[in-house]
Order: sequence, then structure tokens, then C-alpha cells
Amino acid sequence: MKLFTRYNIILMAISLFGLLLIGSLFYRLLGYYLDQQIDHDLVEEIMEVKEYGSNGNFYQPHEFEDLVVQYKKIKKANPSSSYADTIFYNPVKHHTETARYLKTELELLGQPYQILVIASKSERQEQIQNICLIILIPVMLLFALVLLVNRILLKKIWTPFEQLLKNITAFNINHEVPYQPVEMPVAEFRQLNKVLVELSGKVKSDYNEIKLFTENASHEMMTPLAVINSKLDNMLQSNVLEKEHGETLVELYKATSRLTKLNQSLLLLVKIDNNLLQDKEKINLKSLIEEKYVYFQELINGRNIHVESVLADVSIYANQQLLEILINNLFSNVIRHNYDGGQVEIRLDPDKIVFANTGHNPALDPEKIFDRFYKDHASEGTGLGLAILKQICNRQHFLLDYTYHHDLHTFIITFKH
Amino acid sequence: MKILIIEDEPGLQQSIVQYLMSEGNQCSMASTYAQALERLGLYDYDCILLDLGLPDGEGLQLLNYLKRLNRTEGVIIISARNSIDQKIEGLRLGADDYLTKPFHLSELNARILAVVRRKSAHGERHIEFKEIRIDLDAQEVLVNGKLVYLTKKEFDLLLYFVANKGKVISKSAAVEHIWGDDSDMADSFDFIYTHIKNIRKKLTDAGSGDYFQSVYGVGYKFMEI
Repeated sequence: MKLFTRYNIILMAISLFGLLLIGSLFYRLLGYYLDQQIDHDLVEEIMEVKEYGSNGNFYQPHEFEDLVVQYKKIKKANPSSSYADTIFYNPVKHHTETARYLKTELELLGQPYQILVIASKSERQEQIQNICLIILIPVMLLFALVLLVNRILLKKIWTPFEQLLKNITAFNINHEVPYQPVEMPVAEFRQLNKVLVELSGKVKSDYNEIKLFTENASHEMMTPLAVINSKLDNMLQSNVLEKEHGETLVELYKATSRLTKLNQSLLLLVKIDNNLLQDKEKINLKSLIEEKYVYFQELINGRNIHVESVLADVSIYANQQLLEILINNLFSNVIRHNYDGGQVEIRLDPDKIVFANTGHNPALDPEKIFDRFYKDHASEGTGLGLAILKQICNRQHFLLDYTYHHDLHTFIITFKH
Repeated sequence: MKILIIEDEPGLQQSIVQYLMSEGNQCSMASTYAQALERLGLYDYDCILLDLGLPDGEGLQLLNYLKRLNRTEGVIIISARNSIDQKIEGLRLGADDYLTKPFHLSELNARILAVVRRKSAHGERHIEFKEIRIDLDAQEVLVNGKLVYLTKKEFDLLLYFVANKGKVISKSAAVEHIWGDDSDMADSFDFIYTHIKNIRKKLTDAGSGDYFQSVYGVGYKFMEI
């Protein structure tokens, strides 16, 4: 929920509750005041009754006074009186109304009487309702106005914040553009902006340092690797090699080769990260794939892998070196992770390349397979092939997807136009 | 051949010298830019191996120096940096080849032979080994004058072995020679076996001797029996 909506909901709930509370309190207070007034009138009526009584008459109010006086003979008069609300039939208006009565017992003309004076409340109640309305309507209007002003004001105040959010989202550690600061009139936002500028700068410089470190470390490792490799090459020429020496040498060669490959892959990743391969040219993908197919043919035939390819004549505008690596990696991947006698499907459409292969593994986690060093233990690869694939796709603004169905691990690269 | 090795890593320098000497070459060594200049001032060479990251100077300057003096030595850059830009810059300044560390000595040897062959005015465009004749221009192999059909990779592989005749070439070196370093195919060792088998069969079918020898599963040697 947006802060703004949340704030409004809370504000409205509290205001509504307050309004109800104050409204009902106000209404009750007015009602109480009204009752007091009526009670006062009733007492005056009783006094009138007494006065008439002392003159030897029964008092009867005028018809238009909304007042009724009833006399009832009783045995003995107790000097008490009580007030209460009631409903009575108004003989003038010919309908029942809410009313208030005063019941008292008096001796009139030497006889004990119970006297009931009933006064209608309806007119006064109307007054209260009107008063309430007169007060309530402006209050509601004011309330609506406050909400509206709030809305406009908050929106205006939050605009730079939203811009800031947009800029953080747009900030990419890999891109040249730094985080774009936003002009902030509000002090808190200004501080946030300042912190973000510092943080993004720090993140960027740290990241660059790590990249530089990776690059340097990988480069530094190349020379010792060259020494190992050359020593092995010379050792191989020795005439006194025994069979077990040969086996050791095979392992040493494999390990050195893997280490070299790993280093080269890391360097390649850094290079792609640094956006060093930018030149674009028109590349015919069909001939590129066909060329790479020849390149890998022995590996494919050697494992009896059946390749089915449907290639449209597609050319795209991209970096030659990156695309070659991309196709290379796709081929390596479908061959390496296949089983002998497996299947590979290659499809080139105007908008996408699809490489699918059978394999020992069930469906892989599409969230993880493009992570660096994610690989199964059986694989002799560096674990960087798919990461490089992903990175190239990012750089060339291609979409890279992995799906698994019909027992085929499928990699789909979609070009965005 | 006379070869100057300009390389500051003693271990690598020594290995290169050992391998190239055993091929019958004369080798001089330089570990610094100053030493290299001194050597070049005194002698002419057939080929120069140049490491770019020297302790007292940038190797590329040496290329400028050679160019100014119109020296004709073949130059192969050996560098730990696998950068296209540097390769292009090196080749523009007159280097003949660029080899990225780490490399196999057999690869280095093959490159040296190729460069020297290209450089020499009356460069022979074919290589002969007993009854096998390799025509470099036509990319053809003849056995006793009879054409043997080899695929591109088989041709490259044969040429590689002939250039390093008498030496054991590891499978690792052969794989890298054929598939380069683009492909991440460390597990393709066994395919070298298939290739060698095919070449052997084609050559012997054409009447040549079988000159390939397997060496304890590590690699192969191409030599006179």
C-alpha cells in the first residue's frame, strides 16, 4: 500500500470516528439542555394548575401549545413529582409524538389528584436537527477540503522522491552512468539523496576495484601457468618416462588446462563487464552457426549426437566477437551436458535462437543456472560458460531464457528490436 | 636458426630455450629491455620472441625500434594479456604473430617455423617428410605424389606434428591447437585420438609409413621409425 493511501485511510478513519463521537456528544448535550427547558416549562404549568386550583378551576392549556394536562382522582396525594420521556397522541396534530411529562400528585378543590402534564418535544427536536446540520455540513466540507489539499500537497512533495526511486532503479553497477541525484526541497529527502549519491559512488568504486583485482589476479596467474605448461612440455620429451609418469602428466595437463580456461573465462567476464567489446557490425547468424557446427563436428559425431537444425537466413547487428563466443558456448553446452547418442535441436528464427539438448539431469533451476560457478559435480567445465552467455545477452540486450520440456533442456535467446 | 628470447620470467625462459635448442636452434636470452637492445645491436636473428611486460620498458617500443632500423627478423609476441587491441597494435607495429600465455612449446615452435618460413625470401611453400609432401599453398598432402584427402583439422594437425617431429605433443596441446581457446572443451581430449587414427589410416592407405607413436596416453610423437 502506498504511504499516501495508508495515511489517508488512517486519517479518514480517525476523523470519522472523532466526528461521530463529537457529533453524538453534541447531540446528547443539546437534548439534555432541551429536556431541562421543557422540564422548566412543565413546572410552570403545574404552578398554573395550582393557581387555577386555588381559584376553584381546572386548568386546561390552549390548543396550540402542544400541551396536555390530565387529571386523575386518587385516594391520597403523596407530595412527589417525576419527569420522564414518553410518547403521546397529539390531539391537535392527530398523530403520536415524542414528548416529556411531569407527573405529580396534588390536592385540588379539596380532592387528591394525580396530575400529568405532557409537552411535545417534536418541534424542539427539529431545532436540534437543524442546528446539527448547520454545524455538520461546513465541518464535512472543511474535511473534504483538507483531504483534497493533502492529496495535492503530498503528491507535490513526493514527486522528487518518486524521481529518486526511479533513478535508484535505473542505477546499474555495470553501466557507465552514475546515480543521478535529484533536487530536493525537503530536508529528509535531501539527506536521503546525499546518502544515495555517496553509497552508489562507493558501491561503484568497490565494484571496479573488485573487477580490477580479478583482472590482475587472473593475469598474474597466467605467467606461472605458462611456466608449468612449458615445464610439462619439456618433461614429456624425456626418454625415461614410465607409464605412471605418463598418467601423472595427463592429470597435470588437464588441471593446468582447466585452470587456464578458468582464468580466461574470468578475464572474459571482466572484459564483457567493462563493456570493452562494443563495436557492432552486421553478422549473418546462419553462416556463423553453420561455421561453428563444422568446428564442433568431430565432438558431435564422436558422441553420436543427433543434431536437427532449422536455420532461417537471419542477420543481426551485434559484436562479432561476443556472438562467436555466444554460439561457441551454446554448442559446448549442448554437447557437454548431453549423453552419448543424445539429441540436439537448433533453431534460428528471425527473432530468436533456440538450442535444446537431451541430458542426464532433470530440469535445472532457471534462477540459478546462469550464476557463476553453478554446475554439477560431474561437469569438467569451468562453471562460467552459462554466466558468460548471460552476460553477453545482457550486453547485447538479448533475452536469455531456460525451459525444460519434452526431456529437452532449452535455451532461448530472443533479440529485441 | 638463431632465436632471441626476450622474457623476464626465468622459468619460462629456460623452458623455451631447452625446447628450441633440442630442435637444433641457437638461442640468445634477454630478461630486460636494455639487454634486448644490446643483443639486437650485436647480432641478427631469424626470429625474436617478445614478452610485452618487461621490467624496464614496454615491449611494443622494441617493435618501433626494429621497424626504424628496417630489421627483417620475424617477431612473435608472447603476452599474458589476451587483448584484441593489443594484438592489433602489436601486429600493426610489425609483429608477425601473437601468442597468449600460457602456451605449449610445440605451439610456439610451430609458430616460429611458420613465421620464419613466411619471412624468408625464397621461402619454401612445401614441407617434406620422407614420402609425405605437404603443400602449404594448396593445403594438400601428397604421399609418393598421390593426393591424400584430409579435412581442414586433420591437415592442421598433421602440419603441427610434422613441425614438431621427434617431439612428444600432449593431447592438451593438440586440442588447443585445433579448437583454440574460445571453446571451453577440456573434455575433448579423446577426440584427438580419433583424429590421429583417421590421419594415420589415410596416410598408410596411401602407402606412407606409420610415423605416429602413442606415448603413454599423454600424447603422440611423429617420428621416423
